[in-house]
Amino acid sequence: MSLLADPKAAFADLTRPERWVLGVSVAFMLFLLGALLTGALGPTYFLFLVGLAGMYALLSFGLNAQWGFTGLINFSVAAFFGIGAYGSALMTAESSPIAGGFNPLVGLVVALVVALVLALLIGIPTLRLRADYLAIASLGLAEVVRLVVLNERWLTNGSAGVRGIPSFFKGWPVLSTFPETMPGLRLVVIPGSPIILGTSFWEALLNVLLVLTFAGVTFLMLRRAHQSPWGRVLRTIRSDEDLARALGKNTYSFKMQSFILGSLIMALAGVFYTHLNLYVGPGDLDPITTFYAWVAVILGGSGSNRGALFGGIVIVTIREGTRFLNDFAIPIDPAPMRLLLIGIVIVAVMRYRPQGVLPPQRELIWPSAVDGGGTTETPDSGVREQKGGGGDE
Amino acid sequence: MSEGALPKEDAVLRVDDLQKSFGGLAATDHATFAVERGTITGLIGPNGAGKSTLFNLISGFYEPDGGTVEVNGTDVTGMEPYEVAEHGLIRTFQTPRKLEGMTVREAMLVGPRNQPGESFVKLFATPGAVSESESANLADAERILEDFEIDHLATQPATDISGGQMKLVELARAMLAEPEVLLLDEPVAGVNPTLAKKLKDQIRRLNEQGTTFLLIEHDMEFVMDLADPIVVLDQGSVLTEGTPDGVRSDDRVIEAYLGGGT
Repeated sequence: MSLLADPKAAFADLTRPERWVLGVSVAFMLFLLGALLTGALGPTYFLFLVGLAGMYALLSFGLNAQWGFTGLINFSVAAFFGIGAYGSALMTAESSPIAGGFNPLVGLVVALVVALVLALLIGIPTLRLRADYLAIASLGLAEVVRLVVLNERWLTNGSAGVRGIPSFFKGWPVLSTFPETMPGLRLVVIPGSPIILGTSFWEALLNVLLVLTFAGVTFLMLRRAHQSPWGRVLRTIRSDEDLARALGKNTYSFKMQSFILGSLIMALAGVFYTHLNLYVGPGDLDPITTFYAWVAVILGGSGSNRGALFGGIVIVTIREGTRFLNDFAIPIDPAPMRLLLIGIVIVAVMRYRPQGVLPPQRELIWPSAVDGGGTTETPDSGVREQKGGGGDE
Repeated sequence: MSEGALPKEDAVLRVDDLQKSFGGLAATDHATFAVERGTITGLIGPNGAGKSTLFNLISGFYEPDGGTVEVNGTDVTGMEPYEVAEHGLIRTFQTPRKLEGMTVREAMLVGPRNQPGESFVKLFATPGAVSESESANLADAERILEDFEIDHLATQPATDISGGQMKLVELARAMLAEPEVLLLDEPVAGVNPTLAKKLKDQIRRLNEQGTTFLLIEHDMEFVMDLADPIVVLDQGSVLTEGTPDGVRSDDRVIEAYLGGGT
């Protein structure tokens, strides 16, 4: 099974969509590598994009923990993202209208606590009701949070936003001065177009490491949770809440846990964004962030953590890739192009692969139980593959 | 006590003067009966007699307007369904519930109650205990699937099996929750005769092993053969209760079914 020990067998073990995604990813990485080496893509900007992709992946993970696992319809992704971003910005920035200048770790904790409180406030009244009420309430919540941020100048600086945010590693030993102490590098791959790696590159590299840590830990945690009995109850609730109740599951409590977990992950994405962008404004709370996250989750396959990761990367590729379209002499403003492309992607996915590109394809049972539980039998193919994707096998 | 109710020494479920109305309609009208431990009690009645409403009231899905429900001597009136389940009462549904995206054995594993792995914290704090209980549950699930002779379905998608097989899986899963009393809502509705017979054998076998059953069924032959005693419900209240033969020859029961109303 191990990828390193036996790559051929590992490849044969993949389902067709998995191979397809793997192929496209490898091709895309080669393309990016080419662009980097020829100097078409600046390495610092590239790392910024990787950071952004990580951030969208986190947002998608958060939404997946709510919608993909449990079927909770949350339209306030941007609000929880914004709470995370503003929470850490207001605690750490010099220009913060309230107590600023704290260590970014304090900002992280405060942001997560505020997100937790907000999730409880919105969850307590709505999670006992049918799924639609959470959707409605969360739509309202997103607008309320955005307008509060825009209008409460004493708290948030209003439309001016918060500037002077330090890097996440400010005050850490070694890492806080790492970018300055690293030497500037000059690489010449193709004569005439040298690649210069300066302080900003090392800063960006640190950010990428940070988001990889955040996203990696989140991914591993969600993966374990998803294939656990806990995740199984959530999936039961998603399919049929009454059945879960009849079998003695306190569905309200499970839904609350799933909602809080997802909201905290979204806030974590916001915290990272603050220290990536070093500026946050009310515009960051625009509903478009919510819909990007939804598109990412639906595109990747609801309920699939890998799918959410894939979806997040596709979103950033579309969002940022369209900036380069002008280079190829297409005289169209990239902004509307972006929405058009995302619209086309969603229509295509819904038409040809409604379960998403990488839906959960394997049985989800606590792995060591299957290994040691007296059964060596594994399903021939994924659950959803057999059910819906008749043409895939 | 309602007329015709038998004296019950050891009742695992006791319903007393239960009432529920929707608007002006009294769906459950002062219903009183009890289920003796170790029996298979049938609950019959013409369409609209309020059987399903009664099930929903007992299992906590509806809140009664009045009256009490006792499970194992504990008053569970007005409790949430999961709390009622914790007291040992599990129910199934009339239409089989599909668990999309799960295999049969995954769907089975939802059954066991109080799994340590259902606590998010324990997943990370004590993964060993989670593994252990998951292995035990998986073994239990496969044993029960074997008992039900559907172990060949274990890794099939839970949505890809026939309606009758779903009913079997549902019964098997309910057994994993180790109920003291199991409420079955029309266990053989829409099930072919072969599977129906299999279900009947299974219910009888489980009953012999100590599970008490209360079942709603429209298939008279099935219920008369399996259940004793039989409670007859009409217009929301208990009309009579007795042995299958006694109920079959009761004029009031015949009248209720034929809808004479005179």
